[in-house]
Amino acid sequence: MNLFSGILNGLGEIWAHKLRSFLTMLCVMLGVMSMVVTTGLVEGMFASWSTSLEEGGGVEKISGVPKEVGMRQQPFRALSPGFTLDDEQALRRLLPDLAQISPELDVTVKFQRRGKSHSGRLQGVRNDIFAINRYEIEEGRMFADIDMADRAEVIVLGTQVVDALFEKNEPVVGGWVEVDGRPMRVIGVLKHYETFYDDYNVLGWKNQIAFVPITTMQHKLKPGVALSWLNMKAARLSQVGELVDAATNILGHRHRGIEDFRVKTNEEQLASFARTKASFYFFAAGIAGISLLVSGIGIMNLMLASINERVREIGIRKALGATGRNIFSQFVAEAVALSLFGGILGVGVAVGVILMLKAMLPPGLAPLLSASAFVVGFTFSVVVGIIAGIYPALQASKLDPIDALRYE
Amino acid sequence: MSADVIRFAGVCKRYPMGETIVNALVDASFTIREGDFVSILGPSGSGKSTLMHLLGFLDSPTSGEILFEDRPIAEISPDQRARIRAEKIGFVFQAFNLLPRMDVFANTRLPLTYHPRPPADAAARIWNALELVDMKNRAHHRPGQLSGGQRQRVAIARALVNEPRILLADEPTGNLDSRTAATILDLFTELNRQGRTIVLVTHDPKIAAYSRRQIHVMDGRIIRDDA
Repeated sequence: MNLFSGILNGLGEIWAHKLRSFLTMLCVMLGVMSMVVTTGLVEGMFASWSTSLEEGGGVEKISGVPKEVGMRQQPFRALSPGFTLDDEQALRRLLPDLAQISPELDVTVKFQRRGKSHSGRLQGVRNDIFAINRYEIEEGRMFADIDMADRAEVIVLGTQVVDALFEKNEPVVGGWVEVDGRPMRVIGVLKHYETFYDDYNVLGWKNQIAFVPITTMQHKLKPGVALSWLNMKAARLSQVGELVDAATNILGHRHRGIEDFRVKTNEEQLASFARTKASFYFFAAGIAGISLLVSGIGIMNLMLASINERVREIGIRKALGATGRNIFSQFVAEAVALSLFGGILGVGVAVGVILMLKAMLPPGLAPLLSASAFVVGFTFSVVVGIIAGIYPALQASKLDPIDALRYE
Repeated sequence: MSADVIRFAGVCKRYPMGETIVNALVDASFTIREGDFVSILGPSGSGKSTLMHLLGFLDSPTSGEILFEDRPIAEISPDQRARIRAEKIGFVFQAFNLLPRMDVFANTRLPLTYHPRPPADAAARIWNALELVDMKNRAHHRPGQLSGGQRQRVAIARALVNEPRILLADEPTGNLDSRTAATILDLFTELNRQGRTIVLVTHDPKIAAYSRRQIHVMDGRIIRDDA
């Protein structure tokens, strides 16, 4: 008797005890479903995070970011000028190992053109930002030195901004757009970024941005607004640690000892990414493990009950020539048939739940329909069936045929 | 002289029942040869069933030796014994012992699924066996849809499907009315005429009369063997 005919036979038994088998399969189904859905949620969450992290500058990136001043320094916080272009000049002069450095002033503005209007992010930057944050210019050019010096009214647009303001096939480079009412000439368009997880473009944020020279931003668009960040990139990964220390010292000095900033690297982010991911997977595995344990107990219980009822059948089979091994594999196959069926149902329901969650949750939080989750859920259900079936099957195979035949 | 199928030499079987020890079988010695039609006759509790279980090596003797085709079964592993049962022994029980959730065809096939070398013509053999007991037209009925006599005929077909060397029948007519019982016994007689070795266990001398040799059992002892 091979496994296939054993499973067929098991299906017959399942059919003979519809309600009982259905309840047990429900356990397996819920177990597999919770496993697939949790894995999908965790994967969905981290898929977008990891791609964003990669495309946000990689591990050589170093950022100076503002930080809330501590209690003790609160009274003197005004001593610090905050991030300024002078900070940038100092870092550039004192740290020759920096490959690139660019200030960023990040604001939300209103773009307008020929009756069309669009609200979005605008960043005042230097050309270095394109290298640091991995932006590519698809059409046109970056800023020229003269644009920087002249505070020129020129702008580089992301594709989403272009789509919002221009007709299809309309020439973009050389055209004009208004930014908060001030006309700017378009000199470049960024590459269109697309990395889809299901139907969520995790790199969509790269298409939503527009850039102007930092000088234009500070003097013409948002005068008096402090810089948002200072972005740097080390030439080599091995220099990152040293550069972080040096930049911290230089900025500390320039901010007169007020700790209103933090110098951070993507490495920290990557590490915390890995940590968070591990703990989430641990958590998900815990939930799934418990639910599968429960379903395993359900299967074992059902099998034990069924064997008790079928003592006579076991005796007959043994008298007709079944070996202990035949009986053992028959009952294991039944348990596997049960859990396999539950597993298939679970995967089916999980697909439904994931699709429903995707419709309800914002992209980035929505779960992924990942093949690996299905394979894992499926394999797990079979393994649970085998493990839960072993003990009852062993009991059955050890039954004495005479006792079994006498049993009424 | 035809070949020995099963030989009992001084076989005893004792088992504890509560505080006492029951001597179910004491010093039983006999030989069953190819082509025999033997009935084992005795009142209930005389040790017939024990004898039957020992004949099908569902049980092992406490002392003495049982030889199957001249091989002592004490030397045969439990798995090997199961294989011999599947290949060479056919069982017919008083209570029919068909599996209720399988149809007649599947019940008849059962011994072949445990056969160590399943024959290529399995389906044909099943049909032949059902033909022999005249149950071909009920192949896809469940046991619950059949009368007692029909069920016992299916059980006989099942016992014959692996073309066993020996057919062991334990009170095969115990649950049947006398007319049905007669047709079943005629079937056994016919099978024996075709050369099949048959051992029939019964408490009824009228049934034992169908056989060509009777072994009388009383209180675990063989009191008469007209071999």
